[in-house]
Amino acid sequence: MSRQRVVNPEEKFPTVPGTVFLFRSCTGSLEYPGTENAVKETLASLGIQALMDPDQTCCSGYLLTCSAHKPEVSLAITARNLSLVEKKDLDTYTFCNGCYGYLSELSHIMMHNPAYLQMANDLIARWGYRYEGKTRIYHVQEMWYRLRETIGEKVVRPLSGLKVGVHYGCHYLAKQYGILDDGGYPTFHEEIVEILGATPVFYKERQLCCGYAVGRGFTHREETVQPHLFKKLTSARDAGVELITTVCPGCNVALDREQPHLGKRYGADLKIPVIDLSQLIALAMGVPPQKLGFEANTIPLDVVLKKLGL
Amino acid sequence: MEAALRIAQAGFHAVLVEKEPELGGTLRDLHSSFPRWENPRELIDHRVGLLTKSRRVTIRTQTAVTSSARQKKGFRVSLKSLRNENEDELDVDAVVLTTGFELMDVSVYGEYGYGIYPGVMTSLEFEGQLKKWAQSTREIAADAPRGVALIQCVGSRDRSKGNPYCSKICCMYTAKQAGLVKDLFPDTRVYVFYMDYRASGKEYEEFVRQVIEEKHVRYIRGRPAKVLPEDGRLLVRAEDTLMGIPVEVAVDMVILASAIVPRPGTRLLAGMFGARTDEYGFIESELHEPVRSADRVFFAGGCGFAIETTGALNQGASAAAGVIALFNEDR
Amino acid sequence: MPRERYRDRDENLYATVDAYHLVENLEHCLQCGKCAGICPVASLSPSYNPRQIISDVLSGSTSRWLKSEEIWRCFWCAGCYTLCPVDIHFPLLMMQLRYLAVASLHGLKYIVPFKRFALRAREDGLTFAPGSAKGRERIMGIRGGIGLTPWPEVSEKAREEYRALFDMTGSTEYLDRIREEEDRPLELTYLEGRITGV
Repeated sequence: MSRQRVVNPEEKFPTVPGTVFLFRSCTGSLEYPGTENAVKETLASLGIQALMDPDQTCCSGYLLTCSAHKPEVSLAITARNLSLVEKKDLDTYTFCNGCYGYLSELSHIMMHNPAYLQMANDLIARWGYRYEGKTRIYHVQEMWYRLRETIGEKVVRPLSGLKVGVHYGCHYLAKQYGILDDGGYPTFHEEIVEILGATPVFYKERQLCCGYAVGRGFTHREETVQPHLFKKLTSARDAGVELITTVCPGCNVALDREQPHLGKRYGADLKIPVIDLSQLIALAMGVPPQKLGFEANTIPLDVVLKKLGL
Repeated sequence: MEAALRIAQAGFHAVLVEKEPELGGTLRDLHSSFPRWENPRELIDHRVGLLTKSRRVTIRTQTAVTSSARQKKGFRVSLKSLRNENEDELDVDAVVLTTGFELMDVSVYGEYGYGIYPGVMTSLEFEGQLKKWAQSTREIAADAPRGVALIQCVGSRDRSKGNPYCSKICCMYTAKQAGLVKDLFPDTRVYVFYMDYRASGKEYEEFVRQVIEEKHVRYIRGRPAKVLPEDGRLLVRAEDTLMGIPVEVAVDMVILASAIVPRPGTRLLAGMFGARTDEYGFIESELHEPVRSADRVFFAGGCGFAIETTGALNQGASAAAGVIALFNEDR
Repeated sequence: MPRERYRDRDENLYATVDAYHLVENLEHCLQCGKCAGICPVASLSPSYNPRQIISDVLSGSTSRWLKSEEIWRCFWCAGCYTLCPVDIHFPLLMMQLRYLAVASLHGLKYIVPFKRFALRAREDGLTFAPGSAKGRERIMGIRGGIGLTPWPEVSEKAREEYRALFDMTGSTEYLDRIREEEDRPLELTYLEGRITGV
């Protein structure tokens, strides 16, 4: 046992920042824009200002892992994006497991391989950028857990009776070291769900991947990803899950948009809406559903919203 | 106990300081032993008998060492009774540390569900269950689990969450426990999930083969990935690496052969006598002196590293030899 | 299964594969099988087994993985890395195996679907932009309706620099060179000699 694996949230955030850099997620912006709203609303109600920057580009991680380009460009892009944050002297907050995973991994590679850091900085220097590794990379789910008690106090619409199945996704827990759980049996999302007044359901395939990462959702959709998602979603359905939460727009695309296709292929009745954990928090804190962009969801939210009296 | 007996037999005086109300350490918790399926109780009683009879042995149970001061040729040891809080001091010419071991806290292995699912327990806890079943006066057939999975190397040979070393005795005691379940409940399915089974000792290999071939315990080579609950049972997901097939085995109890670690008090105690401990808290020996850790300080048994009963007895005798040689020199 | 001769193996394969030095602890592998035990793909594809792929790389064999279908199946869920008792980052190994396969023109069919998508991302500074005009209209409508800018704000400067980085690192060239016609056939190489169908 060398490095510390699990960090408790108070250690991670000894003080709560007043301003954070919110890293734009492409999938978030272009598939589920309501998630971005939910994150901003939740941060605002917790007294945290979220800054975004039009100079920020895609993290490039998805296509990197699809083998569509080589690491060199992603290292340079990461260095460029993070240097933008460093210029503002802020920490980087993502709301997508994908962005989180790629930024963390690529910055880790640069911090431990001076040659790569040098290569990246040489490329971005022409525009006056320089990455130093100072900005820390977080995912907003960590802040939600850190401030879960405050969130609890701000719940105006407890989600009583709602059976929620949580989906952690893979790329946050895959970091393994210096995060809130080592991935063996995480419970920190369920704790938040309880604080919001809803009932967490521990379904059998709770910790199964969404299958869409690294482009397998396109290249191997019928072969492996659909049977795989079928296992996960039926496990949730059979356990009585009424709503699934994610912390990654990528996972959201997989779990949400594939359901009708699974229904057709397997003749199964699958209609579990899938939303971001931030959207669930925002609902409980009184943010009107109209601001949360549920029109973007494939599986509609009406049954759930009706149950909550919205 | 072995060290004290040998020291007394050689004509010197030994004081046995034991924290618990009874002598014997972990051996007291065991139901059976390998490789001869003996009763550990008999082993303890035999020695305790000899120790109690000896005029040169003082047994101080429920007593703890609070501090120690090195003197010219020995130590002044401060003791405290855990029964009545009385304190006293003892002047000794040598010390033998035999504080034994305990099992690692395996709740860090969330994937195995220790502390989450009631059917998941450590090997030591299971030994207690085996004892209860074996000594029960009522009919226990109804208690029989339909399936038991024993998982080896939980916290051992693990550089990520556990300890990199091998805890040496688990392959043997796991085979023992698996065999005992089959003796108690022949219809119960018993599976041992292993990486390698280590049976290096006299009659050890034959013991494990007997458990596999005659008691019909099924050995699956693969370190389990996860334990999941389903329909009131527990599913163990692993890969059968010899077949290259991922498997899911339904059982009712999952026994974790947890890594052997030194008790936290060992490091403190060692410090009191100037003995060194390694990064894990096991007592370190000196060059050319396998059972001596510092001047006039010897050690034996599990506090030095994971070891089986015969090994501990031999080390005890070896430590005693060291003490006796020292005392002869002193004269 | 015919006997494989060890003298046909490449002692330096590990070093070649791990060109980016991302998986330096591969020899720590205990072949314990925890990775294959949790792997969602292994439980779906009978011949996909991360543990066996590691074994092949360490023993210097390319006969299977290089032209295999199998290496393209990993989801990168990192369940293997999460559980591995010696912290081998298997997905990063997989990524590097894929680059080597592509270099010898195997597996292009799994990258071609992303070619247009990637070239579009290179222009937008954003990935996942809808390909059709209808798609673009729809998302812009939703975004506007909830108070966001119809299109995510990515500055002209950002897009220029993003594009330039692609060009400077040879990534644009890499994409241009990927042509469907050159793709060499893949097989389920790990199926040979295995039991299939449970």
